[in-house]
Amino acid sequence: MTYEKHQFHSAPVLIEDLAPVLRLSLRVKPAHRDTLARVLGLDLPVRVGARSAAAGTEALCLGPDEWLLTAPEGTDLTTPARAVHADAPHSLVDISDREITLRLTGPAVLDLLSACCPRNVAAMPVGAAARTVFDSATVILWRDGIDSFRMDVWRSFAPHVRSLLAQVQGEIAAGL
Amino acid sequence: MSRYRISGKGRVDHAAPVSFTFDGKTYRGLRGDTVASALLANGVHLMGRSFKYHRPRGAVTAGSEEPNALIGTSRGPGRFEPNTRATVQELRAGLVTESQNKWPSLSFDLGAVNDRAYMLFSAGFYYKTFMWPKSFWDKVYEPVIRGAAGLGRSPTEPDPDHYASRYLHTDVLIVGAGPAGIAAALAAAQSGADVTLVDENPEMGGSLLSDPGVAIDGRPAWDWIDAQLGRLRAAGVRLMTRTTAIGYYHQNMVGLCQRLTDHLDSPPKGAPRERMWRVRASQVVLAQGALEKPLVFDGNDRPGVMLAGAAQTYLHKYGVRVGDAPAVVTSHDSAWYAAFDLADSGAKVAAIIDTRATVRPDLLDAARQRGIEVLAGHTVTTTTGRLRVKSLRAAAVRGGTVSGGRTIPCDCLLMCGGWTPSLHLFSHTKGSLAWDADGGTFLPDRKTEAVEIAGAGRGLWGYDPVLADGAAAGLRALQGLGRAGHPAAFRVANDRPGTGTSHTELPTDGNPGKARAFVDFQNDVTAKDIRLAVREGMRSIEHVKRYTTNGMATDQGKMSNINGLMIAADALGKQPPQVGLTTFRPPYTPTSFGAFCGYLRGETFQLTRKTPIDPWAEANGAVFEPVAQWRRAWYFPKAGEDMHTAVLRECKATRASLGIFDASTLGKIEVAGPDAVEFMNRMYTNPWTKLQPGRCRYGLLLGEDGFIRDDGVIGRLSPDLFHVTTTTGGAARVLTMMEDYLQTEWPDLDVWLTSTTEQWATVALNGPNVLAMLKPLVQDVDWDDFPHMSCAECTVAGLPARLFRLSFTGEIGFEVNVPARHGLTLWETLMEAGKPFDICPYGTETMHVLRAEKGYIIVGQDTDGTVTPQDAGLDWAIGKAKKDFVGKRSLSRPDIVAKGRKQLVGLLTEDGSLLQEGAQIVLDPDQPKPMRMVGHVTSSYPSTMGHPIAMAVIEGGFDRMGETVFIPMPDGVRRARITSTVFYDPDNARLKA
Amino acid sequence: MLLIHCPYCDDTLPELEFAYAGEAHIARPADPSALTDEEWRDFLFIRTNARGPHYERWRHIGCGRLFNALRDTVSDRFLTTYKAGEARRPLTNEAAE
Repeated sequence: MTYEKHQFHSAPVLIEDLAPVLRLSLRVKPAHRDTLARVLGLDLPVRVGARSAAAGTEALCLGPDEWLLTAPEGTDLTTPARAVHADAPHSLVDISDREITLRLTGPAVLDLLSACCPRNVAAMPVGAAARTVFDSATVILWRDGIDSFRMDVWRSFAPHVRSLLAQVQGEIAAGL
Repeated sequence: MSRYRISGKGRVDHAAPVSFTFDGKTYRGLRGDTVASALLANGVHLMGRSFKYHRPRGAVTAGSEEPNALIGTSRGPGRFEPNTRATVQELRAGLVTESQNKWPSLSFDLGAVNDRAYMLFSAGFYYKTFMWPKSFWDKVYEPVIRGAAGLGRSPTEPDPDHYASRYLHTDVLIVGAGPAGIAAALAAAQSGADVTLVDENPEMGGSLLSDPGVAIDGRPAWDWIDAQLGRLRAAGVRLMTRTTAIGYYHQNMVGLCQRLTDHLDSPPKGAPRERMWRVRASQVVLAQGALEKPLVFDGNDRPGVMLAGAAQTYLHKYGVRVGDAPAVVTSHDSAWYAAFDLADSGAKVAAIIDTRATVRPDLLDAARQRGIEVLAGHTVTTTTGRLRVKSLRAAAVRGGTVSGGRTIPCDCLLMCGGWTPSLHLFSHTKGSLAWDADGGTFLPDRKTEAVEIAGAGRGLWGYDPVLADGAAAGLRALQGLGRAGHPAAFRVANDRPGTGTSHTELPTDGNPGKARAFVDFQNDVTAKDIRLAVREGMRSIEHVKRYTTNGMATDQGKMSNINGLMIAADALGKQPPQVGLTTFRPPYTPTSFGAFCGYLRGETFQLTRKTPIDPWAEANGAVFEPVAQWRRAWYFPKAGEDMHTAVLRECKATRASLGIFDASTLGKIEVAGPDAVEFMNRMYTNPWTKLQPGRCRYGLLLGEDGFIRDDGVIGRLSPDLFHVTTTTGGAARVLTMMEDYLQTEWPDLDVWLTSTTEQWATVALNGPNVLAMLKPLVQDVDWDDFPHMSCAECTVAGLPARLFRLSFTGEIGFEVNVPARHGLTLWETLMEAGKPFDICPYGTETMHVLRAEKGYIIVGQDTDGTVTPQDAGLDWAIGKAKKDFVGKRSLSRPDIVAKGRKQLVGLLTEDGSLLQEGAQIVLDPDQPKPMRMVGHVTSSYPSTMGHPIAMAVIEGGFDRMGETVFIPMPDGVRRARITSTVFYDPDNARLKA
Repeated sequence: MLLIHCPYCDDTLPELEFAYAGEAHIARPADPSALTDEEWRDFLFIRTNARGPHYERWRHIGCGRLFNALRDTVSDRFLTTYKAGEARRPLTNEAAE
């Protein structure tokens, strides 16, 4: 009788590396948000943590003037944005290589995350995302399903984060 | 089966014997035992020696508040722990335990001579007894005292166990799973609230586990517990046992330490030993019950003297009778029930001595029915027995006079001085306490958090009121969440209500000056010590505490604080609330360092960042050094090379031909937008307007105070795009500072900042052969228009790149930036292409030497937060025509323009020796000490020029060129000449090649 | 560990996501060169160091925004938080409690 909320059987958590995607940081003031949304062909949600998607491109609102755009590699979002730069000044910076993405899945994934994540991860709605901290690393956490998350972590922090995740995975596997 | 174990009784598994050793002797206990209950079942009361007087001691409690029965436990190789409470440690197969603080053996301890000399060791003895001669303190008194005193021995090996951490967010956290806690959980678990119920014991049920005769809603107590825990489980309540709430912090954050494996014979592989939970609860219910108070009388510390409630627990939970002939001394009704239960289990109760003249008739009847002698209105004046209590002396008290003492033989003495609500966690919240004169105790008063206190924890007694109170508290917590629930009621039969009075020392006809009446068992503090402290001028309870060490033991005064306070108040002639209670601080019970560390050990001790090229460095024998959060290749020794040799080889190879360096850790910030140049002009000291796209410039960043904060080469890639580089350690700080100005001072600017530190892997190439090597690999660069301090977006080795021509070595230099995933490929390609030029990988040490030879500063090494551009000789980097930039106004402050500021200069030692970085500099080595220090060495290296070089900040240094200064070191005074900071190629001829 | 309400995210989040950023409502002078040495010194170094309610700035790592807060330095409780650029929130009796 130690911790009875979750019962695990096999593979309670799975930690995988995802292939690189195009990742752009878009910064634009509210006045020009709609212009950018139009030329990029997708909604730019205004609530921090909200996501939108269209034609393979996803937008995540990270701050009042900041969106993270993700798309398959090779997608050209820069050209249409550049075309309106004079009228709708903005910054669109390629950060595809800045971060790597881990996929964390399984029935114990909330335990895995709550080992090092002070935010109430369980309360995150499916379909939302948040920039938060995992131990001392800043990460972006995407909740794609009840038991499915993605974690974007700056490349150099990845060894530390992976090592922590592996430790927690081991303790979850031990069943205590 | 030992004669003290009652067959079939208790919650232990009588069919599952467990062997363990104590001081080398093998004993048999049962699954479910603690070390203490198993030893008691074997008739062993003597479990340790006291801290100061080495007095024989036994378990006085059956729980986590135990002050005496501290043992060393070994759970296998490398798993020794001192000061484990025998009353908490569960038996596991092969557990090895030992007593502490004794020599040569527990039953014959030479240190017990301290006990005979107790007059020497009274309160404050440290400050009084060993005053003279002064020189004896360090060499004689303190080592002897420290050798004789102490608690256990420290483990000598690294802790091999794994510890875990977890955050938990819950609606209602209930601490304590006794009757009040369970009732609270049942109430709170309505309406779908997320409820967490924790208890420090292996089993939930609290005091009901020691009172199986009580019936609730028609069910025996233990059946009722099982049924309710089943209900809670079904309602999704998180039930956590062996989990101690160690601290209560702001906004309902509670720290829990969960012990996971210490009780297991063979823990599963990978299982953590303990887990620290950081719980954020919307509502907290504290249902921690009350702690039984000892009575204070001469000889109240002998093995066999224990709390009556503890004896009752040993009987019912563990099936252990703590003695055949117990006597009871009490000022509270509760101990009567312990006496009855022991009598009913076959013990011959010698007597019940109650300090009260009048006792409840039903208790008297019950005692009479069992043939137990009752001495009401009596006191205990002393006990006998060396390693185990043998008898007590009881005497009548009438009108404050003690008379007619008589000796009563016994083999244990059960005491009860009443009950103290466990207010430790509540006190952590700075909740205020109110004195309850009737109960002689403090009760929770004004709350500072969303917390309810239920049951005995707020002074209630008896299962009926406690259950009702728990249910009400749980319901209030639920309502605090904005949810509704139904009130619950419980029917209790065979309840055990009770009241009592409280005492200072028990009255005695003996000489109080000779009484060994203990208040703090673990720290050997007696009632006399507390009175002495008051006589010697201690007025505040905090001073009394520190002078006597009362309450400063590992039980944090759980046994001693209230008794100590009552005695101090009496000695001061004040009421207890006027004297006040000392502060309780986390942790509630001793907690392992491992639990606090969690994952922060070994390779995850701290975050270590690694570059994309790090794997190559590791494979090629690099020695690493930590730089900010990064680990960076320091130097690449070849076989047989020491650091000095390797670094000089790397330096010379770079100056002679070609060196390659991983500069990926440099901070990089993309500054983009129509107002980018305006922003740069405001942030940096330099002028940016006229910098053409495709060119770069050294940028200097100040704080508003005018002191250097950071520097780096900044390239203008297009009219509204700057690629800013920062120092490795400054990357995050600079971005935060820029964002601060942008968001709060200049929100009107159309410019945005993006960290690209990790987007790019950066490889620096330096040396006279760099162009020959690099040119064939580069596309899209017009080499006819790519002089020193140029930049371009281009292709290098087939990879998309940002190429900078700049130098931090004094040789022709480039920095190649490629997307990070290609960093290792780029490095390997360049290593291959560099072979004809004997390309030499170098690390941060060589980088430092080469830059120091050129007089290039490292912000944070040659500057320390008090250095202005003028002080550092960087006047030239200031855009004098600019009206304003961050820090400009400070550069004309009186202090900044005053004479005598420390200025950055070069130093060459006269004897060619290497100075130590940080060494202090004086102008006159013969002046008396303390000497006036005029500066210090900031950088010092061997160099490629055959003699060491150094930089230093020295008062008025620019005006002292050529002068000699002195650096006093332990082995003699060094003489050094002040020079320019540029030691190598002062005309930059090599950069123009 | 405190809980802090980020006015940009409109969410109450653990302190570990935030960083303290000094006293609030100290605007950089529009023209520093017009200030006397004493005025500039005060701007640089003189702070309230309040015992009790204190106007201060915090940065939320989550959204990257600096915002203002009124925190009681005795009880360590946040009385309110509001966006950067907004006027100083009045110190009501309620807030001061």
